[in-house]
Amino acid sequence: MGIIRIENVRKIYIRKSLWNAQKRIALENLNLDIEEKGVFGLLGLNGSGKTTTIKLLLGLVFPDNGNLFIFDKKIPNLEVRKKIGYLPEASYFFKYLTAKELLFFYAELSFLSGKDKQKRVDYVLEFVGLKESEKVRLADFSKGMLQRIAMAQALLGNPDLLFLDEPTGGLDPVGIRKMRELILRLRDEGKTVFFSSHFISEVEKVCKYVGILHKGKLKKTLEVSALNGKLEDIFIQTISE
Amino acid sequence: MRKLWVVAYYTAIESIRNKVFYITLLFALIVISSSIVFSQISGEVAGRVIVDVGLGAIELFALLIAIFGVVRLIIQEIENRTISVVLSKPIKRSTYLLGKYIGMSGIIFLNILIMFSGLVLLLLVKGEEIVLNSLVLAVSFVFLKMLLIMAIGLFFSLFSTSSVSTIAVTFMIWVLGHFSNEIKFLSEGMTMFLSKFLMKGLYYILPNFQYFNFRDFLECSFLFSGINIFLVIVYAVTYSAILIGFSIFLFSRREV
Repeated sequence: MGIIRIENVRKIYIRKSLWNAQKRIALENLNLDIEEKGVFGLLGLNGSGKTTTIKLLLGLVFPDNGNLFIFDKKIPNLEVRKKIGYLPEASYFFKYLTAKELLFFYAELSFLSGKDKQKRVDYVLEFVGLKESEKVRLADFSKGMLQRIAMAQALLGNPDLLFLDEPTGGLDPVGIRKMRELILRLRDEGKTVFFSSHFISEVEKVCKYVGILHKGKLKKTLEVSALNGKLEDIFIQTISE
Repeated sequence: MRKLWVVAYYTAIESIRNKVFYITLLFALIVISSSIVFSQISGEVAGRVIVDVGLGAIELFALLIAIFGVVRLIIQEIENRTISVVLSKPIKRSTYLLGKYIGMSGIIFLNILIMFSGLVLLLLVKGEEIVLNSLVLAVSFVFLKMLLIMAIGLFFSLFSTSSVSTIAVTFMIWVLGHFSNEIKFLSEGMTMFLSKFLMKGLYYILPNFQYFNFRDFLECSFLFSGINIFLVIVYAVTYSAILIGFSIFLFSRREV
């Protein structure tokens, strides 16, 4: 069974003003096929189209051309969303809710019911190390704590596939290390993690495969173990071509 | 169906915990209480002055909460990006939008209820006569009006790219909606085809908020028969439902 399949996807953003409309090509003829479980990294500079790719896969934005499939089902699809988790690039949540309330809200939306809901919320709070802060409002959370609650909500529905958009962005070195351990733990649990980053070292440490995205085009897909630590050189060379 | 109520519940919780809600409510209660000052110089109609100022304040502050609240429902969630995580969950966009609308309606209802209780309390303290049926009908119509203005705000928020423009347009429609009869009168007096056509169009498209102004006719409540009340309810519900339907369509195509 295919996990993610992207076929000839093109995405253009149009910024309209009263006088004119500016077009920006975010993705051009993107093709990607992920069939194997594990961690897949999408590497690229800022503005290369990483977040757009993830948003397209989540059905938050729509392609101008082409098709996207997750678990062989065409996107957008509600059934598919039951099996996926999403960690956004920056953690934007309802700041007047406590951590536990927020997770209960998302648990309800993720079809979790009764006992499952309580158990799952407790489990993910424990998993990300926020059990003691469950009654604290998100307005009082630090950036690191927000990133962890973001991870907690992504894990709520026990998803088979996780989309992590720049998961280490803005974290301190300890936070980055914890996030890395978390991703590897998820991989060991048999989950597929699709993660975007512009940190080459992070991609090298956690990914099995990596795709290099530049100016909306997927330039290369590589197996990290075969690169002998030369990902940085290959990346720089690829985006300079 | 459960998700609809979950979204409504959490929307209400979020709004209640927002300090703006309490500040607006406090201001409203202060304005309602200040009607005592006006009543001092009103002689025999002191009770009527308290009722008029009170009902006016209820409508004004409910309007403020409705317009600013409806902007927060979707457009501000898109602006501050909280919506992307929610819509990555297995929930239909229509369910989310309806849930938000219902939650905000609950907040407006609560807000009106508290302000109305304040008004009744004030009348009791002053020993004025209370015609509860008429008062309840008047505030119920204010609530219906707010349901409609929220539907209008929601619809425009999905067109717009900023909260400010949504607030401005919704407020403008609220004002124009109180001058429907004048717009009709103007259109009848116009001779140029295009301006006549535009004015007539405006008259038919804009909601007529005067239908809801029961508070202006408290002394002649006999004017409002059961069928009149029923028709106003049907008007508000139909108009709101059409706008919410369009909003659902627009939201289904909106990129977040």
